[in-house]
Amino acid sequence: MALNNIIIQGLLSSLIVFFLTKFNKKVGGFFTIIFSGYLFFSLISYQNSAGEVFDLIKFGDFDISFITSNYAWFFSMVLLLTYFLVSFFNPFWMKKLINPAAYNLLFMLSMVGTLGVFYAKDFLTMFIFFEIIVWASLFIIPMGKSRKSPVIYYTISSIGSFSMLYAIFYLYNTFNTFDIETISSAVISNPNDYIFVFFLMIMAGLTKLGIFPFHTWLPAAHGSAPHTFSPVLSGGLVKVGGFIAFVVTAVIPSFNLFADHMQIMGVPFENYLIMVLGGISIVVGTLMAIKQDDAKKLIAYSTVSNSGYILIGIAMVNQVGFAGGLMHIFNHAMASGAMFLAFAGVAYRTGTTKMSELGGLIKRMPLSFAAYLIAIISLAGIPPMSGFASKWMIFQGLVSEGQMFLAVAAFFGSVGSFMYVFRPLSAAFLGQLSPKHKNVKEVPFLMQIPLIAMSLLTIFFGVFPGAMLEYISKIQQSLGIDGIRIEGTKIYANTGMWDSLVVTLVFGLGFVVAAIFFFMSQKAKKVDQMDTYTSAEFIHDPDMYHYGKKYYASFEESYGNKKRVEILFDAIAMRVHEFGSMVKSWFFGKSISVSLFWITLFFALIYFWGDIV
Amino acid sequence: MINPILLVAIPLLAAFLSIMVKKLSGVFLFGVSLFTAIGSFFIENGSYVIGGWKPPFGINLVVDDYSFLILAIVNILFFLTLLNGMWDLKKNSTVLLVTLAGINGIVMTGDLFNLFVFMEIIAISAYILASSTEKYYSVFKYLVLGTVGSSLYLFGIIILYGTAGTLNMADLATKLPDISGSVKVLAFTFIFSGLAVEAKILPFNSWVRGIFGNSNTLTGPMFSTVYATVSAAVVGRVFGQILTIDTNLIYAFITLTLMTFIFAESAAMASKNLRSILTFSSIGQAGLIITMFLLGGFYAALIQLVNNAFAKMVMFSIATKTYSSNDDDNIDNLAGIFRKHYMMGLSFTVSALSLIGLPLFFGFYGKINILQTAFATNMWIPAFILIGSIVEGIYFIRLLVKLWNPGKEGEESSEEAGTSHNILNGFTVSIIALVVGAVFVIAGITPEFLVENIEKAANSLGDINTYLSSVMGGI
Repeated sequence: MALNNIIIQGLLSSLIVFFLTKFNKKVGGFFTIIFSGYLFFSLISYQNSAGEVFDLIKFGDFDISFITSNYAWFFSMVLLLTYFLVSFFNPFWMKKLINPAAYNLLFMLSMVGTLGVFYAKDFLTMFIFFEIIVWASLFIIPMGKSRKSPVIYYTISSIGSFSMLYAIFYLYNTFNTFDIETISSAVISNPNDYIFVFFLMIMAGLTKLGIFPFHTWLPAAHGSAPHTFSPVLSGGLVKVGGFIAFVVTAVIPSFNLFADHMQIMGVPFENYLIMVLGGISIVVGTLMAIKQDDAKKLIAYSTVSNSGYILIGIAMVNQVGFAGGLMHIFNHAMASGAMFLAFAGVAYRTGTTKMSELGGLIKRMPLSFAAYLIAIISLAGIPPMSGFASKWMIFQGLVSEGQMFLAVAAFFGSVGSFMYVFRPLSAAFLGQLSPKHKNVKEVPFLMQIPLIAMSLLTIFFGVFPGAMLEYISKIQQSLGIDGIRIEGTKIYANTGMWDSLVVTLVFGLGFVVAAIFFFMSQKAKKVDQMDTYTSAEFIHDPDMYHYGKKYYASFEESYGNKKRVEILFDAIAMRVHEFGSMVKSWFFGKSISVSLFWITLFFALIYFWGDIV
Repeated sequence: MINPILLVAIPLLAAFLSIMVKKLSGVFLFGVSLFTAIGSFFIENGSYVIGGWKPPFGINLVVDDYSFLILAIVNILFFLTLLNGMWDLKKNSTVLLVTLAGINGIVMTGDLFNLFVFMEIIAISAYILASSTEKYYSVFKYLVLGTVGSSLYLFGIIILYGTAGTLNMADLATKLPDISGSVKVLAFTFIFSGLAVEAKILPFNSWVRGIFGNSNTLTGPMFSTVYATVSAAVVGRVFGQILTIDTNLIYAFITLTLMTFIFAESAAMASKNLRSILTFSSIGQAGLIITMFLLGGFYAALIQLVNNAFAKMVMFSIATKTYSSNDDDNIDNLAGIFRKHYMMGLSFTVSALSLIGLPLFFGFYGKINILQTAFATNMWIPAFILIGSIVEGIYFIRLLVKLWNPGKEGEESSEEAGTSHNILNGFTVSIIALVVGAVFVIAGITPEFLVENIEKAANSLGDINTYLSSVMGGI
């Protein structure tokens, strides 16, 4: 089916689900599954399509049109898959949301928005759909726990999107076109102009990805959005920012453009600056994630850190690291989606995502536990999950080019991720079951489907990363970069080779050996959480004595608890506020004479301004 | 086809009659405003001489595509505003009829002195209307500033009359190149300042806060849409077409208008009351629109003018309705009110998003045209405009999020936390708001069906020769 029809159908379906939900909440929820599945499956056929143009409408003097390409397909598949899998949770949340009809409408609308961004033929189309995503997702967030976070989200994201808009019109003013392909060939003659555009444009990507210093909206928005929408935000919509970064650095060949510019460690300084921001995000995201008590905030910070990996990979625009960055987009979508969904399930059954109120859920919700476990193994970059493949390639890319500072950041993030992803696992799923949650059950079957699917995909691409890397290699070649080299299950990088099948077998063997030891050894004794005492008193409040509280206390204390970037942003917001109050009292005060004073001043200035005639 | 003079004469006549037959004054008001709303579509382009003296000696009304568009918009808005505000009409029918005559006159007049007369008429009506909210100090302030403004304007045109010997717009436009630069600077500054009072440009606009911020269901939409549209359109006509500024003076004016935009948007950010936020947003939008007129981006200016007028009508009528029902319009106390009034909430949201310029709504088309125009001038103006519109977006989003989703910070949003306030007698308002909202969405997807007339109007404003030949053809 034609792409433009698919997008129109998507827009219409968002209206349909709106009215269906008004009619019956559950039905509306189920229809989001059907429609998002329909969009997902109808786009699969565009795998090998490239350069096909589809017109949507004429928008005044501008055309809104789409073009197919292999990278657009890759990104759209990741996004639609995330949406499709997450939508299985929707029917169960309809009763809990204040405005389910609007939720479903905006859910579908933001999904169509992502398609528009990826397949956009020109920057204007891209911007339009980018903004649609922003406002559609924006109005879902306040249905959750915070009314302040959507404002933070909008502010940061519009800083990004407006600077992109500025850049787009700057380009339009220079080249008289919005078309991405025309512009990318036209800028080659004038690379110095492009520096300005490059940074303005990539701002949209950075803000959306949650790169330092714009990361503050992720914990605020992802942490407080409705539980079913956090996985979409974190697994899906963040990747739209990755796409913008991808377009600016790779589709428009930044490396060739900036080849003559100042180089830092062999990379043009423009790209290097972006990579450094990615590195800082890895470190900041990791450190902040370690000390979160709320599982959703923790995963949100882990997204900051992983966005850093994605950005570094993409900004490298080389053979290995770039492929790693692209693959990490998929891996992180699946992993963070599964993590958020597992905790959405936990919240569905227990009503909380605070780790110190949970514990021992492995017995009650084994499948959620397994899905979470697989996701964190992937996220921490441990074989045989797919996260290992992408992180390995990013490391390879960094190391082989001698990017030691960034490599240190990347390794730090990887080690740190063990710490933070393990915390929810041990605090919520392992340990002792809180007496409050004695009667908790596993999530309903429909909610298990996405958990299973995400886990299977993570394992599959961990064992056979070649299946995806072949396609990524094609993307690289079509962008004029050397494709990643793969032979069967072997992946080649400059400094080494890695056979995923062998690694999997070794790990499988290790697992079997460990299991044998486990079953041979003596059984541990089960102790109830309340079966303890301190200072000769029994414990009555299970939360107070939970070992998940201040899990990494000594570590956390070493770097304090000040959210410095948040404080800075709050201060700026405060200044705008104060400025507004000042304007009110200076220009709109009670006294008439003050305004007469300003009027007189205006005339005096005109009078004394000699150069006016 | 009807003679455009009727659009001025009939409201005036009805105003006289309504004094004599007080009981029927409401009927006159609605009947006449409906007549002008429909009649404004049935006028033909051309110059209409009044009193037998040909221009530049006599008085003439000019109908071109520009005044046609403005007339149609203003008369429709006027009628809709009456419907929205019929609970607050009180004894103002006569005043409103005079206002209607005045605004139609302003839009069509071809003479700068005539313009002054009509402006005085609507200004005096505005003082009377505003005093119906019983905030007399604000009205007094408005009166003082309005008087200062009109005297400045009068100074300006006297200087022009003294040098060029004419106040007929067309005649003046042809004689403008002969006037010396310093005289023009003086006269233009005076005229601009005079118009800036009504057009809400800093620093002439300190009256707006008291008048808009305390408005009732009639005056709120009336001032923020009808008056705002007319006053901006006049600046467009005078400085866009007739008195074109070719000196550095234009930068002084643009600095003022851009300052108005950014300052007012940040003042709105620091406001907590619904009407107060909308007040500062109106000031900001006026600054933006007039910036566009001064830059010569008539198309962008007119799109934003239409967008702002209709969006503000929806928002102001809902806001004032909320206030009149509850005596309270603090947004913290109104949290979740749209959950109770779904239709109004939806149209308010659509209007706000359109005003911010988000895609899928008509305002987005305005925004890209504004940017295109601004970029054609220089690199700084679009940057300022974007910074202003970020601020604008933030406070509108903050407002919308709060009004849709009641609930304490840190807890799931739920109906229980919602406000106890209600909006009473909101039926007409909802229907009108819903229609306007639907138009915004449709025009946001295919702007063609709205912009054709706007484009014609912008072209006619940019083309002085057609204007001259239509007026001076008879000389």
